[in-house]
Amino acid sequence: MSAFLSNKVFSNISKFSREVKPLVSLRGITKKFPGVVALDNVSLDIYPGEILALLGENGAGKSTLVKILYGLYTPDKGEVIVYGEKTKILSPRHAVSKGIVLVPQTPHLIDSLSVLENLIIGLREYGVFARVDLIEDRVREIALSIGIELDPRKPVATLSYTQKQLVSIIRALLLKARVLLVDEATTLLPSREKEKFYTLFRRFTEGGGSVVLITHKVVEALRVADRIAVLKSGRLVGVIDRDRARVEDVRKLMFGKTVTNNLQVRLKRTEHIDGGKRVLEVMGLWVSRWFGDYVVRGVSLSVRRGEVVGIAGIAGNGQEELVQAIVGLVKPVRGSIRLLGVDVTGKGVELTRKLGLGYIPDIPMRYGVSIDNTIEENIAALLVRGKIIKWRRVNEFTSKLIREYDVKAPHPRVPVKVLSGGNLMKVLVSRELAIARSLLVAHNPTRALDEVSARLVRRMIREKAVGEGVGVLLVSEDLDEVLELSDRILVINSGRIVGVFDANRVERERIEELMVA
Amino acid sequence: MVYLVVLRRTKPLPYASILVPVISILLGVLLSSIILYLLASIPPLALFNLIVRSFTSPTVLKDTLILTLIGLSLVIAFKASIWNIGAEGQFHMGMLVATWIALFTPIASIPVLAKITCILAGAVAGALWAILAGVLRAYVGLDEVPVTLMLNYVAYYVLDVLVYGPWRGRFTYGYIRTDEIPENLWLTLIPGTTAHVEVLATVLIVGLAIWFMFKYTIVGLRLRILGSNPEFLRASGVNVKHMVVLALGLSGAIAGMVGALYLLGDTHRVSYPVEAQTAGYGYLGILVAWLSMLDVRGLPLAAYVVSSLRVTGITMQIAGLGGTAIVFLFMGSVLLTYTVAKVFSEYTIVIRR
Repeated sequence: MSAFLSNKVFSNISKFSREVKPLVSLRGITKKFPGVVALDNVSLDIYPGEILALLGENGAGKSTLVKILYGLYTPDKGEVIVYGEKTKILSPRHAVSKGIVLVPQTPHLIDSLSVLENLIIGLREYGVFARVDLIEDRVREIALSIGIELDPRKPVATLSYTQKQLVSIIRALLLKARVLLVDEATTLLPSREKEKFYTLFRRFTEGGGSVVLITHKVVEALRVADRIAVLKSGRLVGVIDRDRARVEDVRKLMFGKTVTNNLQVRLKRTEHIDGGKRVLEVMGLWVSRWFGDYVVRGVSLSVRRGEVVGIAGIAGNGQEELVQAIVGLVKPVRGSIRLLGVDVTGKGVELTRKLGLGYIPDIPMRYGVSIDNTIEENIAALLVRGKIIKWRRVNEFTSKLIREYDVKAPHPRVPVKVLSGGNLMKVLVSRELAIARSLLVAHNPTRALDEVSARLVRRMIREKAVGEGVGVLLVSEDLDEVLELSDRILVINSGRIVGVFDANRVERERIEELMVA
Repeated sequence: MVYLVVLRRTKPLPYASILVPVISILLGVLLSSIILYLLASIPPLALFNLIVRSFTSPTVLKDTLILTLIGLSLVIAFKASIWNIGAEGQFHMGMLVATWIALFTPIASIPVLAKITCILAGAVAGALWAILAGVLRAYVGLDEVPVTLMLNYVAYYVLDVLVYGPWRGRFTYGYIRTDEIPENLWLTLIPGTTAHVEVLATVLIVGLAIWFMFKYTIVGLRLRILGSNPEFLRASGVNVKHMVVLALGLSGAIAGMVGALYLLGDTHRVSYPVEAQTAGYGYLGILVAWLSMLDVRGLPLAAYVVSSLRVTGITMQIAGLGGTAIVFLFMGSVLLTYTVAKVFSEYTIVIRR
């Protein structure tokens, strides 16, 4: 441990450890967007040496707060005080120069460059002719110290999600971060890997830095944070020390009402799945990425009527390509896909959609919505089957979805781009649930959603399967979700299905082992 | 330290769809008048008089109608983010086919049918010419901007070759041009103007149809989504390639139709070189489409302003105050100020201390 702390990476922050003054203070921050107050008079201190969890449901203002700290937004009112000095953070570069570094949920790395090349970008101190080997030892040391294998010379494209997140964090450390803004970056990792990152955060704060952990998971906040700040509808409704925080209290703060404590209640199952017709049949599927190597390697699976088949795995193990091949967005190299008995292999989305496929994509902004169009238009694009759009009907339907899913939007005619990430996701999920007739392919359907909304979406997916006999292929990086929702669980690792489990007889540890093996 | 920070507006500028075109036109005219004053000592006051008179001239109506149609053609493409710079070529292909029917086929002698055939054939020719670029864009991945632009010249020269050679007329007094088309094909003048009844009717029919298409049909919605997120369109089960071809096809059809109308109404024949024969409506239409903020309802007004500025330029040319460049000066200035105003409608500059 001491060797770790003497490391240059951490030494630059230690001088702050003796100060009791906050590293960063927010004073009366207000930020408005059309129709919504994203942040309402929020004051918050971030102290050296602490892990502060920023907790809140969708649209509570977490992202807005982080974007203000990182210089992406400027507040309408209020001030930001950095190291005792009133500061306007003008841009991410400015934020980084002040030691405030963001670790985003999805790593912003250049796939074709090596880890070291990615890291040396932006490190000005090494000059124009910086050589990557200058930082190699440090990178190896950090990786080794927390026990994640990482070859710094390999291209980023070959890394797992865990490794990429590690690279993101190492970059933040090399940028001499004093305040790490961790935006859901650890939320999706398997629990064992999560712990490793928590250790890293702990060491970082021991060196005098602070970590702001943005999360919508109460459990994660309680597990790792020293203090928990809860945001609700743009207001800071409480800051609690971990020692005094109880799950129920935090939940109550977050959602403003007592959440019935049956969050883990088993969902209803379809009976006699085994006798049901096969909705989806995938045989020996091989899919390659654009630069040629196979990312899906001989996957076979089937989904029956009314059955939810969950695919568990760490992000980047071929899930995206598998899903895209099934939906019809990419052509597989080998193998076959049958939907309702019809061969749809490589025949495009037109056919699969015609056969009643619903698709909740992993990248909603790309494949799920058109942000310049209104909510109504985004619904109509898939709902209307005729040539003429009856807007009154679409409007009624949209209003119903907005009510049912509690989408925070002034009306159905606002462009989707004014919605928060979670609300945007609700629009998309509600639409796909409404239109799926044979198979629903859901890839991380609740990733951007808070507990209550996620709950609702899971229940709706279940109801779709039980009530309408729709088959569901659930691909999720959230193992809890897979366990909760699935009838059958497949584990994917490096593009192969490495395990098949009945959801009633399954050990979580066994699945996690297979996921990281 | 004082900073100037450029920020994206979180809320669109109120009344931007009116403010942007109006401000850009005013500033554009102001800019042109400064340039004209400095270059040719034309007193701004006289220039403004001239402009005011142009706006009330009865000759403006003809160009307004023609440019509204070209504007419609381009709005279809631009809404879908398909940058059709080739309305000029599609216009001439429409004119080419209409000329052929009018001069060399027996249909030309049938009263009403002849006109309709010419106009529809013009539409088909324009559509096919645009689809050429559409197919290259959709299936080969060639950018439509250079392709449509270059096809303009191909269209010019094809028509030039025909007029210079096989189509050269017998009664041309030494000019290189075709014969006049039969009189029963000529369009009917709207009394007191230089505009034609048939063109006005086409504006109304096509305008309403396009407005309806964008507002009430799934195709219109898909074209708009194509303009903002084609990947989503693909994931929702629409053949994006077909939509690209369709956008260009519809756009070209209207431009081609205008080419035919222009032949029947105004020129009655094609003269060599064809590229000097018209005002470059295909290019002027780009300005019209942008000034309308891609709103079908705003097109006639945008077309009216551009036509009036064009008339101003022509009047000055006739008065010997300058060459053809004066028209381009007005158009260029307005397009420039429009681009700047559009940026400021989306971004704001904040002073920070």
